[in-house]
Amino acid sequence: MIRIEYLEVQYGRNPPVLSIDALTIKAGERVAVIGPSGAGKSTLLRTIKGYVRPAQGKVEVMGVNFMTARRRDRRRINRRIGLVYQQFHLVRRLTVLQNVLCGRLGVTSRWRSCLGMFSAEDRRIAWSAICEVGLRDQVHQRSDSLSGGEQQRVAVARVVAQQPALILADEPVSSVDPAWAEDLLELIAEVQRHHQATLVMSLHQPDLARRFAERIIGLRNGRVVFDDKPAKVTEANLKELYRGDASLPFNGAAGRSRPGRTRTA
Amino acid sequence: MPPAVPDRAGRALRRTALATFVLGLIVWSWVGTEMNLLHLVDSGPRIADFLDRMLPPDLTWQTTEPDGTGVRRPFPPPLRIAAAVVGVTLQIALLGTALGTLAALGLGLLGAENLTPHWVHHPVKIAMALLRSIPVILLALLFVAALGLGPLPGVLAIAIHSIGMLGKLFAEECETADPGVWEAMDSAGSNWFQKVRYAVWPQVAPQIFSLTLFRLDMNLRESAVLGLVGVAGLGLAIENYRAVFDYPSVATLVIITMLVVLVVDQISVHIRRLLK
Repeated sequence: MIRIEYLEVQYGRNPPVLSIDALTIKAGERVAVIGPSGAGKSTLLRTIKGYVRPAQGKVEVMGVNFMTARRRDRRRINRRIGLVYQQFHLVRRLTVLQNVLCGRLGVTSRWRSCLGMFSAEDRRIAWSAICEVGLRDQVHQRSDSLSGGEQQRVAVARVVAQQPALILADEPVSSVDPAWAEDLLELIAEVQRHHQATLVMSLHQPDLARRFAERIIGLRNGRVVFDDKPAKVTEANLKELYRGDASLPFNGAAGRSRPGRTRTA
Repeated sequence: MPPAVPDRAGRALRRTALATFVLGLIVWSWVGTEMNLLHLVDSGPRIADFLDRMLPPDLTWQTTEPDGTGVRRPFPPPLRIAAAVVGVTLQIALLGTALGTLAALGLGLLGAENLTPHWVHHPVKIAMALLRSIPVILLALLFVAALGLGPLPGVLAIAIHSIGMLGKLFAEECETADPGVWEAMDSAGSNWFQKVRYAVWPQVAPQIFSLTLFRLDMNLRESAVLGLVGVAGLGLAIENYRAVFDYPSVATLVIITMLVVLVVDQISVHIRRLLK
């Protein structure tokens, strides 16, 4: 599903934010990426999505190498990768249904969708996605009237409607009430199982990663520190991963270079 | 004792320089326009005389002289004229705003820095600045010369000026749209039009309606003034009565213009409040 070789991502003349020699994620895997702030978790996800252009190396997703692929192929792959954001990024003034229908935009007739006309099939797909995330009763409510946890459910439904082969979740629970974090991750994992998709999510809390992922990748200063099954990740591994945390000069610099990273909802 | 906060370097100097500059501009304008309060006081009797000639406003409806001789008035009474032309003034403002808004929507999107590459939005921004640099009355003067008298030059003048004004405001509005939603739409595989439709439009629509109504308000005022250069409507009627020194009729039409503008102003205030 994902094959990364000798990847280097660099912003300007700063030291590389990401430097990974080899990383392979197979179809159907459920992977969590953990690490301190500025470790490169978001950058890794955005590189897999194709939004970050690596300085060098190879990123191959679903058999398409982003570095050499034609625009058409990149667009085709782009549609099949769903992205869940920390900040949800819903269209505030639209209803739950309208937001979820946005997940269908990549496969609908462009002119009809610009007029707000979606096919009966698109609407059925959106409705089943809404039912799947448990927002049946809020379907016609405006998305900005919902709580943070519910808004993230809408965002998950939007990704479900997209029918992706790969789901990327960038700190999906960092902006929601901690009480709802587990429910949400359970939902995301459920969606992944049900649709036989591959899931890569970045998480802040190692204990959540242990519970909801089958594989944990520890990222520090842009490098893979460990990559193993949850049971095999030891306390010593985690201690090493978070040593010093944000007080390191490199971490601070990387955090500043990306505005919005520290913003809360 | 804790140390004092250090002064911001050069702040006092900048402030004094700015105040001097602004004061200088005002003095320059005062001298240049021969502003003289004594002259205003001296003109008191003239102003009183002028107002006296305007009052009372001519509110008659019949087309004959009021002395009962049955002689026709040289010009129709102002109320009849107003009834005939108030519609044209409104129509010029409405159509001019509608055409201007339509074009401004397109140019506004193309002129937004976050929606198009720089080689598109730079030229569009410059074009819109050029369009709004020409005052409406000047545009109307040119169009009257080119197309002749009537309402059409007014419609075009108002439309073109509105494109420049609204296009700029629309573009600035689009630039405030949340880039995250744009990316989320891109992530779902949307093309440019779909992204504009779903990531930008819902965010900016209320503000765009409100700006358009505000422009309609201003355009109605413009429309009433354009008569001075030969565009049909209330302005032309006022100009015609003024040319024959019929000041009571001028007064009537000025009052009617105020009423129309006030009514539309209030309607637009209410609609804009509803949009919020």
